[in-house]
Amino acid sequence: MAEFQNYTMNFGPQHPAAHGVLRLVLEMNGEVIQDADPHIGLLHRGTEKLAENKPYNHSIGYMDRLDYVSMMCNEHSYVLAIEKLLGVRPPIRAQYIRVMFDEITRILNHLLWLATHGLDIGAMALFLFCFREREDLVDCYEAVSGTRMHATYYRPGGVYRDLPDRMPRHQNAGNRSDKDIKRLNEDRQGSLLDFLEAFTNRFPGHVDEYETLLTDNRIWKQRTVNIGVVSPERAKQLGFTGPMLRGSGVEWDLRKKQPYEVYANLDFDIPVGVNGDCYDRYLVRIEEMRQSNNIIKQCITWLRDNPGPVMLDDHKFTPPSRVEMKDDMESLIHHFKLFTEGYCIPAGEAYAAVEHPKGEFGIYMVSDGANKPYRVKIRSPGFAHISAMKEMVVGHMLADVVAVIGTVDIVFGDIDR
Amino acid sequence: MGLGELTAQNLGLPDNEPAADGSDILQKRGFVVTGIDNVINWARTGSLWPMSFGLACCAIEMMHTGASRYDLDRFGILFRPSPRQSDVMIVAGTLTNKMAPALRKVYDQMAEPKWVVSMGSCANGGGYYHYSYSVVRGCDRIVPVDIYIPGCPPTAEALLYGLLQLQEKIRRTNTIAR
Amino acid sequence: MNKRYQALAARVLSRFGDQLTRVESTCGELTYELAREDLVATAQALRNEDGLQFDTLIDLCGIDYLTWGQAEWQTKDATGTGFSRAAQRETVLPEISDTFEPRRFAVVYHLTSVSRNHRIRLRVFTGPDNPPIVPSIVEVWNSANWYEREAFDLFGILFEGHPDLRRILTDYGFIGYPFRKDFPLIGNVEVKYDLTEGRVVYQPVSIEPRTLVPRIIRDDSRYASGQADEAADG
Repeated sequence: MAEFQNYTMNFGPQHPAAHGVLRLVLEMNGEVIQDADPHIGLLHRGTEKLAENKPYNHSIGYMDRLDYVSMMCNEHSYVLAIEKLLGVRPPIRAQYIRVMFDEITRILNHLLWLATHGLDIGAMALFLFCFREREDLVDCYEAVSGTRMHATYYRPGGVYRDLPDRMPRHQNAGNRSDKDIKRLNEDRQGSLLDFLEAFTNRFPGHVDEYETLLTDNRIWKQRTVNIGVVSPERAKQLGFTGPMLRGSGVEWDLRKKQPYEVYANLDFDIPVGVNGDCYDRYLVRIEEMRQSNNIIKQCITWLRDNPGPVMLDDHKFTPPSRVEMKDDMESLIHHFKLFTEGYCIPAGEAYAAVEHPKGEFGIYMVSDGANKPYRVKIRSPGFAHISAMKEMVVGHMLADVVAVIGTVDIVFGDIDR
Repeated sequence: MGLGELTAQNLGLPDNEPAADGSDILQKRGFVVTGIDNVINWARTGSLWPMSFGLACCAIEMMHTGASRYDLDRFGILFRPSPRQSDVMIVAGTLTNKMAPALRKVYDQMAEPKWVVSMGSCANGGGYYHYSYSVVRGCDRIVPVDIYIPGCPPTAEALLYGLLQLQEKIRRTNTIAR
Repeated sequence: MNKRYQALAARVLSRFGDQLTRVESTCGELTYELAREDLVATAQALRNEDGLQFDTLIDLCGIDYLTWGQAEWQTKDATGTGFSRAAQRETVLPEISDTFEPRRFAVVYHLTSVSRNHRIRLRVFTGPDNPPIVPSIVEVWNSANWYEREAFDLFGILFEGHPDLRRILTDYGFIGYPFRKDFPLIGNVEVKYDLTEGRVVYQPVSIEPRTLVPRIIRDDSRYASGQADEAADG
C-alpha cells in the first residue's frame, strides 16, 4: 500500500464557504492540516490611497464599502476621526441616532454572520430566518438614507437628516391579496421609530428561534465545541478585538471601556466567553444581538422624547439647508465652497476607534492642513483575526477550516481594503 | 402565470390557437406542436442556475435576492457553488487585478451555453474604484457580459429585474434556426 | 488631555527620558517619536513593565511624507489669472537615488493596553536608507507579522528580522509600492483577457489620471488656538 505524503491543497478564491475571496493554501497530512497560508488581497481596491485623493466628505462612501455588512459602523469611525481633528461634537440627538444605527448595524452583521456560518456547517433553515430579519433592518437603512446598504448617513457634525416620520409601505402591484398587503404594512403605519419598536419587541423571540435550532443541537456542538481554541494571552498577543477577544474570556469592549457618543448613558452588558472556541464565540455573538436590541429600545425611548437638531450648524463643514441657501448669500457661498472644494482640517493626527461588530475598527487620520487627508489608515478588525487563521486551523481537520472561517467572521472588504 | 409554465406564449405558439394554455392543448389533443428552439429556450429560461460568484458588497444583495423576501427559487433560479453545474455567472462586486485570472478560469469551466450578468457599478466599469491601481475597470475586459445591472449595490429588485431581462434575451436566441 | 493620560505621559517620561520625544497633539492623544535602534528594547519595555503593559499592538502602518504640506493649487497668488476647473497633476518621478530624505518614511505603531485601558502611539522614521529599513517587532507582538508584511507591500519598508516578508495585498508579481506618494493612483498596468493567448494579460494603463477637486491648504484661524483640544476633552 502506498504511503500517504503531505500534499498541498488550494482552497478558494472562489469557494462558497470562503465568505468572499479568501484563498487558502493548505498543507495536509491525510485530512489533518499541517500548515495554512491564507492569501488575501483578492479584493484589494486601494481604498486608503483613493481616500487620500479625495476631499474628506467624498470618502464616507468608501467607508461603507469596506466592511459591507456593517456599513454605518465604518462610517462612524471615519466621521469620529474627522470630528476629533476638527474638535467638534455632534448634537446629542445625532449621537443617539448614531448609537441606534450602530446597534442596528451590529444586529445586521451578526445576522449575516449567523446565516452564513450556519449555512457553511450545515444549517440551511437559519439562512432564511436570518435574512427575514435582515430585510426589516435594511428597510430602516432605506428609510433614513434611501439605500438598503451603503447609506453614507453619518456626516462630520451629525447625521445627514432626522429620522423620517413615515415608514415606506408596501403597495399592491397586483400579485398579492389585500389581506396580505395589510399584514405586511401592519408595523409600517407610523414612523421609523414605531417600526423599529415593533421589531425590537419581536426580535428576542426570533433569537430564541435561532437558539432552538442551534444552541443545544448535537451536530452544531460537534462542529464548534473545542474548534479553534485561543487562550486569552494569545488573543491579546495576536491583536484580537471584539467578539473574538471576548470569546476567549477577556472583558474588553470599547463601548464600556472607552465610551464614545452616548454609550456611557446606556445600560447594557458585555457577554464574555470561557473556553475561547467557536461555540463560545457563537454564544457571545448571540448574546450581543440581545444586548443590541436593548440598546435600540433605550435609544427609541430617548429619541421619542427629545427632538432637536441632528447636525451642527457650523457651515464650514456642514451644508446649510436648502431654504437658507435660497435667501442667504453667506449660506450660498458656504454651500458652494463645501461642495466644490470641501473643508480644510488643521494639521495633526488622530486615531478614532469604534466597537465595530467584528472588533475594533479604527481610522488613523493624518492631516497636513489640506482639504484631503494626507494619510488614512484603516485598522480593520478582520485583518488581525485572519492573520491568526493559521494558528487556529493547524491540527484540525479540513472540515473544521470552514467552521473557523465562519467563526472569525471575515469580510474581505475591510481586510483587503 | 409562472414563467416556467407550459404556456402558449412560452412555447411560441401562434396567437390564433384556440386555447391559450399549453396544458389545455395537451388535454384536448394529446400533443403540442412547436419549434425545437422554443422548447430549448423554455427549458433554459426556466432553470437558470447561477454560479454564486460573490466578490464584494453586491454579494450581500445577491444573497438577499436568493433569501426569504425575494426568493429566486420561484423562478427556477438556484445558486450553485460549482461552475460545472451553472449556466449564469453573476459577477457581484469589485473585480481586482489579482482576482481577474480566477474569474476567467471559473468562466472557462462553465459548460455552454453560459451567460454573464455584471452586477453593480464596480463590475460594470470600475465604479467608485475606477481610478484605483488595483481594480479592473469593468469585468467585460475579462469575460463577455450579457446583462449589466447598474447600482451600488443594485437592490435585490434590480437584480431580479436583470435576471428577468436575461430570460427575455435567451428567449430571443435561436439555437437551431439561424 | 485627561488625568489618566497625564499620569501615563509622566510615567513614560520618567522611564524612557530622552529616548522618546513627545509630539504635541491637538486631540489628547499620546504620540512619541523614537530612533529605530531603540525600537525593539522600548517595545519590550512597553509591553512588559508594570504600569505600561501595552499587551496589544492594535495597528502598524507606514507613512510616506514626500508631499507633506504641498498643495496642488496655490490660491494666494493665482487669483489674478483665474483657475482651470481641475488641477494639473504634476508627475512626481520615482526616487532613484541611493538615499531618501531622512524624514520621508515612517512606521507608526498604535499600542493598546487591554489590562490598563490606555493607548499610545509610536513613530519611527526609517532614516535615509534606500530601501528604508526598520527592525521587526514580530517577536514582541505576534500580530505585527501581517501588518509588517502590509507596510512592506505598500511602502517598500523592510523589516529586519521578519520571518516571512512577502507581499500580501497587491497582485502576484506586482511591481512598485503603491502607497508611496510618487506612485500614480491609476497604477502603471491594467489587466485584460487576451483572446489569442487565451489568458489574462497585463498591458500599460489606458486611462488618464484625473483630479476632480485639487488639493488645497487653507489656514483657518479658528483652529489656531487650543480650541480643538478643549472640545476633544469634552
